[in-house]
Amino acid sequence: MNTIRIVAEKELNDIIRTRSQMLVGIFFALWFSAMTAPAIMTAEKSLVFDQYNNLLFYFVLMPGIFMAYMFSGKVFFNEKREGIIETLLCTPLSMRRIWAGKILGVTIPAYLIALLTAALITLIANIITTTILLPSPAVFLHIVLVVPAFIAVAVGLMGFGHLLLGMRENQILNITIFAAIFLAFSLANNNVTNGGSAVSGVLVGGMLIIAVLLLALISYLTRYLSKERITMTLS
Amino acid sequence: MNMNAIEIHDLVKSFNGSPVLNKINFKVRKGEIFGYLGPTGSGKTTTMRIMLGLLKPTAGRALILGAEPDEHNGNIRGKIGVLLENNGLYERLSAYQNLLYYARLYGVHEPDRVEKIKGLLEFAGLFDRKNEKVGRFSTGMKRKLGLARAMINDPEILFLDEPTHGLDPESRMRVSDLILRLSKEEGITVFLNTHDLSEVEKICSNAAILESGRIRACDTIIGLRRSHDTPILEITLLDTGCAEWTLNLLNSQDHTYNCEQDGRLVTVTLNGESPSTVLAMLVTNGIAVEEVKNATKSLEAVYLDLMKRERKHK
Repeated sequence: MNTIRIVAEKELNDIIRTRSQMLVGIFFALWFSAMTAPAIMTAEKSLVFDQYNNLLFYFVLMPGIFMAYMFSGKVFFNEKREGIIETLLCTPLSMRRIWAGKILGVTIPAYLIALLTAALITLIANIITTTILLPSPAVFLHIVLVVPAFIAVAVGLMGFGHLLLGMRENQILNITIFAAIFLAFSLANNNVTNGGSAVSGVLVGGMLIIAVLLLALISYLTRYLSKERITMTLS
Repeated sequence: MNMNAIEIHDLVKSFNGSPVLNKINFKVRKGEIFGYLGPTGSGKTTTMRIMLGLLKPTAGRALILGAEPDEHNGNIRGKIGVLLENNGLYERLSAYQNLLYYARLYGVHEPDRVEKIKGLLEFAGLFDRKNEKVGRFSTGMKRKLGLARAMINDPEILFLDEPTHGLDPESRMRVSDLILRLSKEEGITVFLNTHDLSEVEKICSNAAILESGRIRACDTIIGLRRSHDTPILEITLLDTGCAEWTLNLLNSQDHTYNCEQDGRLVTVTLNGESPSTVLAMLVTNGIAVEEVKNATKSLEAVYLDLMKRERKHK
């Protein structure tokens, strides 16, 4: 655990100290909340609470995933492009530990941005409705458990892809993920503006199970990641 | 007790069926600086990557401190230091932070960590700039810091890939001196992957010459020079005026292999004849000679000869 923590701390400090990246993160939190929270005005008075929870359900995860995408590129892709990963692979750390440390180091700041978005959506929603709105227990669990789990899944998957693939394939992967995030955003936006259904505990539980299964699957997939594969796909 | 730090036995590596290394064999004794020479694409980096456990051999074995450096052997990796083409440094971190990160990864004990980093920064001549971001450093400074980083775990073997590549002459000299100091003062085995022949001649005790994935020669530096030796005569003429005439005269003789001129100095590679015959011929033809010296072939000349022979052979 100690070496995983060392890698995670380094990545976390590096991300937090990169002012431009943090500013982009804060900007996205503001943008996502400012763009989505006003949707609450379209809801009927009796549905305001459900609408607010719907907003939190979709739009807290979205910036978290987006930041995971941004930070993963820096942490995994840049390290591979610059060849630093080769030196890291010569240290006593196993590849899985390096990978796990990096997932942790990226998930934490991405999750912090997601939490900031949740706080901003709540603030804007409260101002608009002039009532005190707080997340339902299901949505609260979603924010506390499902969101970080899905961010970790996204980081793990992107990190796995960055390590496994060559530079050109990685660029294609980056564009594909970017497009997928925006497609997911527009679908979610559509769902929320159309009212959507109330977020249930079953839905959140189901999502948590999916996240845990995906994490286990990605962890299993790292068995197919070899030093030779990483070395041979360096630029 | 095994006196060899590195043992390579019949090492073969192929990529998609094409061989890159073909039955390589060599040994590096503990404490020596071993030069691994060869042109670009000869398989030097592939050999090093196999020794570091980054690539798996197709056949044969690479033993590092008596064990195979496979993916799961963290114990061996803890005993080696590595400076690859990339310095392994994070440009956004300071020199101190970079060394601290690697010290923690290698599990350098906390009470010794600060002193260790301080010592390495002083060794690299970068102590005064320890808090500066590495991104602001020159190529030479990064290389020296990279070397210090590779030393963070007090390695028994240091693997260096082109450590002076891209450096100005002063930085090259400094890095070479640092490597020599490491070997002499710390007794570290150094495996030097390079095509800088002067560097190998200056600091290595043994060397292997690799060409097209095969070892063409492997010996001590003196042994390499001797085994491929042809007598060389250095003739200093009294004045430059007759240099061209001397060169024409020597080139017309059967017993001279190769002649080169640099100002008053004419270098002649002999092909069986004794130096006195050459001297007598010059004097008979009225050429005033100031000094005649027998010289030994440089490693560079040996290397170029070997490469020429290989090309002819093909």
